[in-house]
Amino acid sequence: MEDYFNIDNLVGFRPEHMLLHGPTKRLLDDFHWHDPQVGIVASYTPKASDVHDHFGVFRGVDQIEAFAQATIVSLGTFLECKKLNCTPLDMKDRFIPAFISVGGVSFHNYLLEGETFISIGKITFYKFRQMVCDGRIYKVPRDLDLKKYFSDFNKSRLDKYELSADFKLVADLSNITGRAIKREMFTTDN
Amino acid sequence: MERQEIIDGLIEILRTIRTVDQTKLVNVTEETDFLTDLTTPSTELINIAAKAEQKFGVEFEDDDIDELGSKVKDVVDLVLRAKERGKV
Repeated sequence: MEDYFNIDNLVGFRPEHMLLHGPTKRLLDDFHWHDPQVGIVASYTPKASDVHDHFGVFRGVDQIEAFAQATIVSLGTFLECKKLNCTPLDMKDRFIPAFISVGGVSFHNYLLEGETFISIGKITFYKFRQMVCDGRIYKVPRDLDLKKYFSDFNKSRLDKYELSADFKLVADLSNITGRAIKREMFTTDN
Repeated sequence: MERQEIIDGLIEILRTIRTVDQTKLVNVTEETDFLTDLTTPSTELINIAAKAEQKFGVEFEDDDIDELGSKVKDVVDLVLRAKERGKV
């Protein structure tokens, strides 16, 4: 694993080291901007398997999952690991990231195989291992260098979703909520 | 701090939470259940706990919240435990 203890944010960090479920369920390719107390920008490009048996279109429910992986799971895991001075792998033995609630979502556009999108999320609440995020999904202009584009991104631009006009709004999401729950709570009779 | 004082404070908190059915905030007792009696969304319990920390000047541990029940008496007990812990 990359040297997790020395990083200040997730830009450049491999998502497979942050999201600990298997690769077939991972809907996250790269982190492009991250302020641990504020929010994140991350991207994913749907593969053939993601649109198979679904009209060649990336499902809305998978958009929500991709947004959650990019925001509440990645942001929450990062902060919790820093607090506990451990790695995401250590967290895996103690907690399970649970999807608690989807407040609201509106879809404005669709995504096809090979169309890269970004999840851009803002933290609205974080306490007791529970995180709530609002945000949007945008289709990225073809061949855009995301690393370069977001190299000077900041909180002010995040607050206003300030992106160039060729980013196409795909979805608006609110109150996306997740919580790291102690693993033993999943193994009791409750 | 008396238990009734904490219940009164909790009712004040609940009056500020939009998703709590305000008509049900009469006759709140220790046995009142946030989820079934007040139809509070379960995600709101964390928010109530965060507000209770501020109102009663205490600090809860993450593990306290994992084990928190859904009745008013559970939050009252938690506040009193946190107060006691704060004295150490």
